[in-house]
Formats: sequence, structure tokens, C-alpha cells
Amino acid sequence: MHTTNPVTLQAHALQKRYGHLTAVDGLSFTVRPGVVTGFLGPNGAGKSTTLRMFLGLDRPTSGAATVGGLRLAETPHPMRVVGAMLDARGVHPRRTAADHLAAVARAGGVSRTRVPEMLERVGLGGVGNRPAGDFSLGMKQRLGIATALIGDPAVVIFDEPLNGLDPEGIRWARSLMRDLAAEGRTVLFSSHLMGEMELTADHLVVIHHGRLLADQPLAAFIADHTTEHVRARTPDRPGLLDALARAGVQATADTASADGIDVEGVATDHVGRIAATAGAELSELTAVRDSLEDVFLTMTSTQKEAA
Amino acid sequence: MDLLASEWIKTRSIRTTWVLAAGTVLVTVVVSLLGISGLQADWQADLPADFDPTGVSFKGILVGQILVATLGAQAFTSEYATGQIVTSLTIAPRRAILLVTKLGVTALVALATAVLAVVCSLGASQAALAAAGLPTADLTDADSVRAVLCAIGYLVLTAVLGVALGAITRSSSGALAVVVTVALLVPALAPGLPGALGELAGTYWPTTAGQASYTTTGTGVLTGPAGLAVMAVFTLWTTLAAHITLRTRDA
Repeated sequence: MHTTNPVTLQAHALQKRYGHLTAVDGLSFTVRPGVVTGFLGPNGAGKSTTLRMFLGLDRPTSGAATVGGLRLAETPHPMRVVGAMLDARGVHPRRTAADHLAAVARAGGVSRTRVPEMLERVGLGGVGNRPAGDFSLGMKQRLGIATALIGDPAVVIFDEPLNGLDPEGIRWARSLMRDLAAEGRTVLFSSHLMGEMELTADHLVVIHHGRLLADQPLAAFIADHTTEHVRARTPDRPGLLDALARAGVQATADTASADGIDVEGVATDHVGRIAATAGAELSELTAVRDSLEDVFLTMTSTQKEAA
Repeated sequence: MDLLASEWIKTRSIRTTWVLAAGTVLVTVVVSLLGISGLQADWQADLPADFDPTGVSFKGILVGQILVATLGAQAFTSEYATGQIVTSLTIAPRRAILLVTKLGVTALVALATAVLAVVCSLGASQAALAAAGLPTADLTDADSVRAVLCAIGYLVLTAVLGVALGAITRSSSGALAVVVTVALLVPALAPGLPGALGELAGTYWPTTAGQASYTTTGTGVLTGPAGLAVMAVFTLWTTLAAHITLRTRDA
């Protein structure tokens, strides 16, 4: 099992202005080791700008983005501390994958033997001698991930790592991120693929218009922002609707089917009891949870109205 | 040291580096020879009194310098164009160190290129002069040796200037435009400037002064190492400007 000194990422009242446009507006959050943290926000929310400030590529207008309490440029061995893939372009197209990784490895004083090892690990074992420009987007993503990991860093930052990956590649990237977190590393990744985010992240940092919307475990985030509802199917729809109305429960007939009912604000057992008392036969009784996508879209659209 | 080795891997693994290096040597030699073949036609009528057989061997540097400056500019412009700069700055977040490393690697590649270009150009030109029955350089003469060394130094400084301009403009075409303006356009237009301004530009303009350093006759008050020093100071200032640009601008 790999052991790394745990390193946290911290944004302290982070702000970035471009002229009159405020891309990041007073963000404060902490990304902890040992879990996969998903960084979520619509296009233009300030995700990439924030990640670039952690890497010292962009300078904050005010506040600070620190890695283990220091700005990245102040850390003694930057490659051992942070590995990042910001976009799949970070490679010269005429340089071979092996030469690219060799240059990166050398810069961090990493043994050259890590190059074939990393190529193998990301599934590019057979194509190390090909120029990166010949690669598909998915292969470039894999090379970017290898670039990020070659220094064996305590913190891993991936911006949209799943773009261009095929389903097998997505599954691979997902388990890779989970493994990296299990090894005690700090893993921060952004994605617009909500389903994948839901399957991969343990913790969420959600931003919108450069402001923090949420910083909490994924399950809590969904639970906090979703209304519980129950779906029932019964051959006696009018009877059950009537019984629910008498019990003071809000229920509506599902217009898409002949026998479906949507019940708001109560749990399945409560609906089951009412059905049993009313003598209505149930062919389905399911608790429906909103997906991360539902929650996210509702949240950002209310924010838009508020803004 | 690790970063220097890393930059060397980057530099050598791009074919453009070697195309530009070979191009610099070839163009310098060919343009020098073309200059001499121009002399052959009418030398008896018009060979100037201060004919400089050493300096004439280096006429090709006028064109070669553009290629070697582009070679230098590539160190940064290719990284900005491809997005590689994000990777480079993440693994080496101290930008001043990255700049110094790139300057070092480029200076070494440029030195090897310059030695080849200058030696080949000198050899071919002297052979051509001898074959045409024109006066040849006396290579035991201290002034000739100094001219050869200054020619090498000038090409290396031009490459370093290219690195700095690449960091400032972040674009190959932008860097090339500045190089052509500084190295060719201004010196060509300087004689047309009025009075003292024209004289000043004709002597102290950095590339004009630098080019005077590899002749044995010199132009105006600046001769030899003094001319190269003017070019070196200009390169140093441009490098400082590049350092400030890298520090203050977002990547």
C-alpha cells in the first residue's frame, strides 16, 4: 500500500477578477486527503480558473490558493506534491509520449524507469514511441494522467479527466481516482458528467458564478437538496388517490401511465399503510431519489433567477 | 540540474530544433558565398580600399540570425502554442528558474550551431576568395581571430534574444516580426534617418553594433568587442523584460 504525507488543498477567500468580470468571488474551501472530491459547476462558473490558481498558473486578485499551506512555487519538490492534468493539450504534438514523460520525469528527479511503467499503467504501453499529436482525445487524456502521476504526487488535480474516454476508459479512470484516494492522496477532479461524478466522488465542492454553493459529502448534498417522493402503481388508481387525499397526503396521477401515482413528502411505509387500509392492491412501491443531475440543475437554475 | 536535463530532452526531441539549427548553418554559408560571387564580377574595378576578407565571410549571418533567433523563440512559443507550458509550469512553478534553464539550453544549442555556421562560412568563403584570386583573410591576425569569436558570440546572443522575445510575445509570428524589425528593418532604414539620429542608430543600434563586431574594419566608433557588448546589454535588458513578463502575467 502506498503511503503519502497527507496534503490538503485550501482556498482562502480566493478571488480572481478580469477587468470588470469576477470569475472567482471569495471562495473558501478545503480539499482533504483520502477521499475523491468532485468539483462541480456549470460552464463559466470559475472551476478552471480556481484549479489554475492552485497550480500557480494564474495569480489570485486577492486571497490565496495553497497546497499543504504553501503556494505551489514555495514548495520544495512541486512534482512530489501536485500532479495535474488541466487539458489534454498539455503536450507538444510532435514529441513522442515517451520523450514527453522522460522530460517530465527528469525535471522532478524521477527515475527514467518510471516512464515505461507509467505508459503501461495508463494503457499506452504499445504506443510510447508515437508522437502525442497522433493520439485520439482519449489517448491524450491517458498521457495527461500519466504526466500527472509520474512524480508520485500527494495531490492529484484533474480538469475534466473523462472527456474523450470510451466507456471502458471512463470505468478505468473512475477506479484509478478511487485507488489514488484510497492510497491517502488528495484527489480533486471536475466533470460535467453528473452520472460519473455521482459514481466517483465522495465529497463535492459546488460553485456557481464564482461563489461556493456547497462543500459537503455527496450523499448529504443530494439528501439536503432533494424532496423525497414515492412512486406507486395500482390497478385501483382512483381508490388509492382518494385514500391518500383523505389521509392528507399530496398525490398526483402520473399522466404518462394508466396506473401510476406520484406521492410527495412521505416515505414508502406510510404510503403502503394507507394503501393496505384502503384495500388498494399495489403493483409497485418505490422511493424515488433525485439524481445529482436533478439536484444540480434545480440549484443552478434557482441561482440564475436569484442572480 | 534536473530541470536543465529535462529542457534538453524537450529541445532535442522536437525536429524543428534541428531543422532550424541546420538551416542556420546552411543559410549563413550560402548567403556569404552569394555575397562573394557578387564581388567576383567587378572586383577589379571597385574593390573598396578597406576590403575586409574576414568580415565578408560572415555576410550570411544577416540572414542566419533570423533562423537562430527563431530557434531561441521556439523554446517558449512552441510551449504556449501547444499547451505544454501548463505542464512545464506545474512541474517547475518558479518561473525565473524555468527562464534561466531555457536560456541555458538554447545558448548551448546555439553555440554549437554558431561554431558550425561560422567555421563553415569562413572556410567556404576563404576558399571562394582564393579561387577568384581575391585577397584572403590572415587567420593568424588577432583582429581576424577576434572577428571569428565575435561572429559566434553574436549568433548566440541572437538566439538568447529570441528566447526572451518568445517569452514576451508567446507567439512564433510575433517573435519573428520583432526579430526581423530589430535585426533587419531598423538597420536598413537607419541611414535614412535625419542627421544625428541616423548616425546614432547607424552606430549604436544593438544589432548594427553587434554586426560591426565581426568585421576587422568596424563601423564608426564602435569596433570589435565594444559592438558585441552593446548587443549583449540589449539582450540582457530584453531578458529582464521577459523575466518580468513571466512573473506578472498569468500563464
